[in-house]
Amino acid sequence: MTILAPLRRGINMWREVNPRERRRWLTAYAFMSLQLIGLFVFILGPLVVSLYYTFTRWDLIAPAPKWVGLSNWEHVLGDPRIGQVLGNTVWFILWATSSFLILSLALAVLLNVPRRGTTLFRALFFLPYITSQVAVGLVWSWMFNTRSGPIPVFFRHLGIEVPNLLLDESYAMIAVAIVATWQALGYGITIYLAGLQGIPGELYDAASVDGATSWQRFRYVTLSLLSPTILFLTVTSFIAAFQLFDLVVILTGGATGVQPGGPGGSTRTIVLYLYEQTFLFSERVSGLGYGATIGWLLAVLIFIVTMTQFRFARGTVFYLGDDER
Amino acid sequence: MRLRTSLTLSSTFYYGLLTLLALAYLVPVAWVVSTSLRTNANLLRADQWIPDPITFEHYTSGLQDALPDLARYTFNTLRIAGLSTLGLLLSCSLAGYALARWRFPLRKVWFYGLLATMMVPGHVTLIPTYVLFRKLGWLNTPNPLIIPFFFGSPFATFFFRQFFLSFPRELEDAATLDGAGALRTFRSIVVPVSKPAFVALGVLHFTGMWNGFFLPIIYLQRKEQWVLTQAIRSLLGRYDSPWGEIMAGVVLMTVPIVILYILVQRHFVQGITFGGIHG
Repeated sequence: MTILAPLRRGINMWREVNPRERRRWLTAYAFMSLQLIGLFVFILGPLVVSLYYTFTRWDLIAPAPKWVGLSNWEHVLGDPRIGQVLGNTVWFILWATSSFLILSLALAVLLNVPRRGTTLFRALFFLPYITSQVAVGLVWSWMFNTRSGPIPVFFRHLGIEVPNLLLDESYAMIAVAIVATWQALGYGITIYLAGLQGIPGELYDAASVDGATSWQRFRYVTLSLLSPTILFLTVTSFIAAFQLFDLVVILTGGATGVQPGGPGGSTRTIVLYLYEQTFLFSERVSGLGYGATIGWLLAVLIFIVTMTQFRFARGTVFYLGDDER
Repeated sequence: MRLRTSLTLSSTFYYGLLTLLALAYLVPVAWVVSTSLRTNANLLRADQWIPDPITFEHYTSGLQDALPDLARYTFNTLRIAGLSTLGLLLSCSLAGYALARWRFPLRKVWFYGLLATMMVPGHVTLIPTYVLFRKLGWLNTPNPLIIPFFFGSPFATFFFRQFFLSFPRELEDAATLDGAGALRTFRSIVVPVSKPAFVALGVLHFTGMWNGFFLPIIYLQRKEQWVLTQAIRSLLGRYDSPWGEIMAGVVLMTVPIVILYILVQRHFVQGITFGGIHG
């Protein structure tokens, strides 16, 4: 009954404590009440119910979900679409997170100098980040068009004919990753800059006195002290990339009547597949039940990847002024 | 040392490089503005970076014809973004404050519970909440995008807790000695000095809702409930799209957010970098 232990401890505390302390507890709970209701009604409750749905078939038309045992889970493991969708998502994550982490670090280092005007440049790089993915997707789908889009036109001037990347099965996901990176750079730069500004200048001086080259100073001072920031951005960008949806829908299926996820399913992501299986009536496996199963699969994958990253970070990430870790 | 290495780069080279990078980076932005100002005859002219002639017709009559209910969509979007931000700031600041300031039974259970649920992607809870809202008759109403935020959000609560932990409590102690109740102390003493946290979180959430697309397409299918992202997306056609109007719509939709960030930028940078590094 370890789960009940804190509860019992709470009841004992309540009995022993004086009335003024009790009033303080009530105040605390009053302050917490909205969030606690939300925790149960919108997170924990749905989490349990959604696990239940994974063992059912339901299309919302029938009065109630029908128990089907493990069949959704069996299906998800053998579904060739799931294999493709996972492959697409991983492919996107690899391109998008690596280019995001490296390019925003490079730009942050470039902007981390005491010169006039850097604030203006920072603001310019931040602009796409606060723009809607729908707007960004619309703009870039127009950028890639072969007739007048700046990208094909630019390459045509160099004598190279490039196809519309979004219509080419082998490049479409990379094109989406380029757009996602473009949009997120400003955020990465802002977070990296905050990390860079926390590095004491004396460390660079000490390294120089010891004869470190500028590459060594970057490698052993900047990168080491920036490792908590890098970890934070790595973890959060992986989680965000796993959940890619809006951008893909607009870039590959913006037009009414065009199914997103193309060409040839090459940009269908996990969340897009979840959406199709839950809310679209074509090719459904078991409606909400299968949708919930895909949702759980996604949660489990994110959990495993995040834990692996933290595990890997132990011993690699360096915290200044914290010798305990 | 940072100073010295950087000064070895000559100023001209440094600013030249930055300007070049920024220009390349902002090509899509320039392209949007340029396209939105071209006449229909020139829409596909790849060489016309500076439109000749410049026309505002896409912003005026063009958008009016393409999206007659634009005012309605703007109102819908504002209502969702505004009310949900209000709800989030209210519920999460109170909870974060309680977690940061008082010891009470089960405090750790709630704290770690909230922390653990931060990792749960919204897509897992999506389907049961959809079923719940459907039962409540909330499909095609803005409620599913507003009401849940009045009941907190783990990330925001955690953010507020960290923020309140980071500043001294002497002020509040003085107020409490004066006999002010907890809620009054919170409202009149804590909230005013916590502006960066409220601004940063509020602006982030407002922007997220303003720009959102996934929840609206699930909950708001009836046209009169649409938000701006849905409206602009609906302009895309199967074979031919009014690109002038689309780009004008993109500009109009982005400008208010840019203005918002310019107004609050000082507080905002303080706020998100705080959340990013210490959070």
